Amino acid sequence: MFKNHIKVAWRSLRRQPFFTFLNIFGLATGMAGVLLISLYIYNELSHDKMFADADRIHRINADIKFGGDETISGETAAPMAAVLENDFSQVEIATRIRNLGSVLIRKSTTNNNIKEINTAYADANFFDMFGLDLLVGDPKTALKEPNTLILTKTAAEKHFGVNNAVGQELLLDNINNYVVTGVIDDFPKNSLLREHSVFMAMSGYEDAQESEWGSHNYFTFIKLIPSASVEDFQAPLQEIVGDYLIPWVQQIYPGITEKNFIASGNYVNYYSIPLTDIHLYSDAQFELSANGSIQNIYILSFIGLFLILLASVNFMNLSTAQSLKRAKEVGIRKTLGSNKAGLVKQFLTESSLLSFISLLVAIGIAVVVMPFFNDLAGTEISLPFLNPVFWLIVLFATILLSLFSGWYPAFFMSRFIPVKVLKGIGKSSVGGGNIRNSLVIFQFAISVFLIVGTLVVFNQLEYIQNKELGFSKDQVLIVQDFYGAGTKGEAIKQEVKKIAQVKNASISSFLPTPSSRSDYTYFREGFTNQEDAVNMQRWLVDYDYLETLDITLKAGRNFSQERMTDSTAIIINETAVSLLGVSTEEALGLRVSSDLGDENGEYFTIIGVVDNFHFETLRDDIGALGLRLGTSTGNMAVKISGGAFSSTLTAIEEVWNKNIPEQPLIYNFMEESFNDTYQAEQRLGRIFMVFTILSLFIACLGLFGLAAFNAEKRTKEIGVRKVLGASVGQISYRLTLDFLKLVGISILISLPIGWYAMEQWLQDFSYRIEINWWMLAFAGLLTITIAILTVGYQSIKAAIASPVKSLQVE
Amino acid sequence: MLLQLNNIFKWVNSGGQRIFLLKDINLEVEEGEFISVMGPSGSGKSTLLNVIGMLDTFDEGEYNFLHESVHTLKEKHRSNLYKEYIGFVFQSYHLLDELTVQENLEMPLLYKKYKGSERKAMVADMLDRFNIVGKKDLFPAQLSGGQQQLVGVARALIANPKLILADEPTGNLNSQQSEEIMELFKKLNQEDGVTIIQVTHSENNAAYGSRIINLLDGRKV
Repeated sequence: MFKNHIKVAWRSLRRQPFFTFLNIFGLATGMAGVLLISLYIYNELSHDKMFADADRIHRINADIKFGGDETISGETAAPMAAVLENDFSQVEIATRIRNLGSVLIRKSTTNNNIKEINTAYADANFFDMFGLDLLVGDPKTALKEPNTLILTKTAAEKHFGVNNAVGQELLLDNINNYVVTGVIDDFPKNSLLREHSVFMAMSGYEDAQESEWGSHNYFTFIKLIPSASVEDFQAPLQEIVGDYLIPWVQQIYPGITEKNFIASGNYVNYYSIPLTDIHLYSDAQFELSANGSIQNIYILSFIGLFLILLASVNFMNLSTAQSLKRAKEVGIRKTLGSNKAGLVKQFLTESSLLSFISLLVAIGIAVVVMPFFNDLAGTEISLPFLNPVFWLIVLFATILLSLFSGWYPAFFMSRFIPVKVLKGIGKSSVGGGNIRNSLVIFQFAISVFLIVGTLVVFNQLEYIQNKELGFSKDQVLIVQDFYGAGTKGEAIKQEVKKIAQVKNASISSFLPTPSSRSDYTYFREGFTNQEDAVNMQRWLVDYDYLETLDITLKAGRNFSQERMTDSTAIIINETAVSLLGVSTEEALGLRVSSDLGDENGEYFTIIGVVDNFHFETLRDDIGALGLRLGTSTGNMAVKISGGAFSSTLTAIEEVWNKNIPEQPLIYNFMEESFNDTYQAEQRLGRIFMVFTILSLFIACLGLFGLAAFNAEKRTKEIGVRKVLGASVGQISYRLTLDFLKLVGISILISLPIGWYAMEQWLQDFSYRIEINWWMLAFAGLLTITIAILTVGYQSIKAAIASPVKSLQVE
Repeated sequence: MLLQLNNIFKWVNSGGQRIFLLKDINLEVEEGEFISVMGPSGSGKSTLLNVIGMLDTFDEGEYNFLHESVHTLKEKHRSNLYKEYIGFVFQSYHLLDELTVQENLEMPLLYKKYKGSERKAMVADMLDRFNIVGKKDLFPAQLSGGQQQLVGVARALIANPKLILADEPTGNLNSQQSEEIMELFKKLNQEDGVTIIQVTHSENNAAYGSRIINLLDGRKV
């Protein structure tokens, strides 16, 4: 009997190529989409699970509020790891990683520098913590001695290959000598260390040995003993504040106790986050590598669910629409002795057959689309063809899908009463119309929702990109790794400034693009209470900084080469002024100092106030900022006047190569690095768009099929109307209007939901657009237009058919 | 006795009025009879046939089929009953378009759970008996109306039913094809002892039967 079912199913699919195509194509598109989304989510969820004992590894985060500034830091103080290891019996080992950023590396025997972008200091028990095996070298000693380092396989191969790596001497940034003591395999793409390629021994890093609790610069990982529970660990962890942090603060501010520290509204909360949660749940300011977000996982899961629902609904609609053709068969089978259950089985067999054909098509689509998807999502996913579990899940999901999509048509069709269908009593008696209509409404409601989402995301992106930022990022070229220039920096800058097309150039520690920076705590002269502390970023700039970036002075003056005293001057922004609790005019001439960091209580005089400009992303409010004169090696910004870009670039390159022949010029445009900041949003926007198109496409396939069905069902009515004198236009209009009503209802349902959901999304931005009526109107109109185009064809086709023919059918 | 209808009523309510489709029908059918049901359009011929075939229900009265009281049976038992004993022949043949002649013949056997080898033998036997072996791999659309109806009759017969119900079996056929089918019915009735009830408009066709029942407005006349 099963064979018979398959045979009939196969033949009836082939007999109706148009419907079969719509059905399979719709289902396959949905399945392919869901397949990609599932693999992506699986990849996101698998982050850092590859490390041995991953379930016992945690990182210490600190939630800090001090000096009007709140931060969640993924890094904690240098002495933290030792305290955890010594004072806590639950902690098996603790290890620290201290990011160093990019470093130029060459063999001491060559002149050829190669840049490694992510390097870090690591404690000697680094290998123990993450269960890493060395390809060459001894894990017990590899990171023990100062000035030793290990490389990843890829990094090692750039210089000398893996096997003879141990013992090689390397020169870092042209000055620091290191010996290679080991090589590890590259980290998997879904681990938080994926971008790191060089680890240097922490024992050679002085800052790491100090017992300073005020700077949070060390990623501190702990491995708990197997019997320990994380929950029991949190309360004792917090005691570190009273036991270590406060005593250290008291050395600088003798009056401070834990009580009045908390009473003044400040806090430091230490807590641990599981290693495997970092990628999706940690929202710390500094991370070892860019995190995903659980929010995106939710959004994608919803989109995936929508897609498969859409495809499934399509299937139901098209199948029941075809029931006219199958009604006779049901009748015959019943008179030949089939019962309802037998027919249900038959139709479910049929939907399974369709689902499995669709699965094959879907896998084909997924293979083709995968590279584009990876590009879109910034991942490296492939279909795990060799994984039996994958196939098991795929097969199971397909069966589930076919049952889900098949049950309604199956029960719907098996209910037909033979006496009626065999007599052919009116095609309109097939029924099921209300359910089909609801399904169409559901499909289009989802599509409209996604259109609204796409519009809002793209408009917000547009807004961000065109927002007046308070500085000019146009035509600004950034020379990176300026530390490579060493002492020749100032000379290079002067030479570059002489190039005809160059308007200005400035060397600074930071540019107004997001980057990892620290806050320093400043006090106004004569104020020492912690309530008066102002947490402020401090950037080292030169005389040309404000001019190069078109930053506006609100009051006071810029640094001047004529005044020797400007080495102790500071320019602050409006936020800093308001945190100091004075007016702009009052701020000028005030003196501020920071006890921490390298300033050692020296006083700086405020000589100018600049307008606020956006130096973090538009998700954040503008924080306090201080600019000081100083020699720095971060980067050089070059403002270029329009035109002749390439010749200017060549000229700059010439200057660079003349001075620093051993290192290539690395540059980018400020516009680019600014746009990179909104990669997450751009990705979300593109993902929204792709899946909006997909869902609209699937919904239209369904609508197209339904329109065909409807036209067929009403053949007689159309014939009668024509005989009575109705025009083609009137009939097409009637047929189309029915569907437009459904689409209209969908729009009414989903516009408010879309508006509400996107309003929530926009809450994340400090600077955001308002959702405009025209976005909603546009979404509605677009949907209606597409619906008209889809249905119109079928309607006109039905309307121009000869009435003689259509009346004969009945 | 094969079947017995006692005081069968069937009606529908339309516009507050009760319209009778069958009114007080009494009928006894012995095994081996060949009955023709006649009457003008809308007189209830097909309804009566459907009631006898258990495809349709009735509102009042008793119906006994081989000692079973059909009116008290549940849907499932009813369908088992007609599956076992009744074969249907339709005016528009109602073959399954997706299946070949051979496969169409096999259908009733599948539903009765015959074994594969048995099915093969029975289908081959039937093809042979109806002289359509050469057409076994053709689809219905490739056959003439008369040939299709031949297959329809063969399909109705294949599971050895006691009763064949034919609703205007020659309604779509020309006179020559009609005659062939009627001859076939006569032969089946006389040689194989199959009981046949047919609905027909044609006096000629009715003459093949052993008894004629006339209906008018749902009543036997």
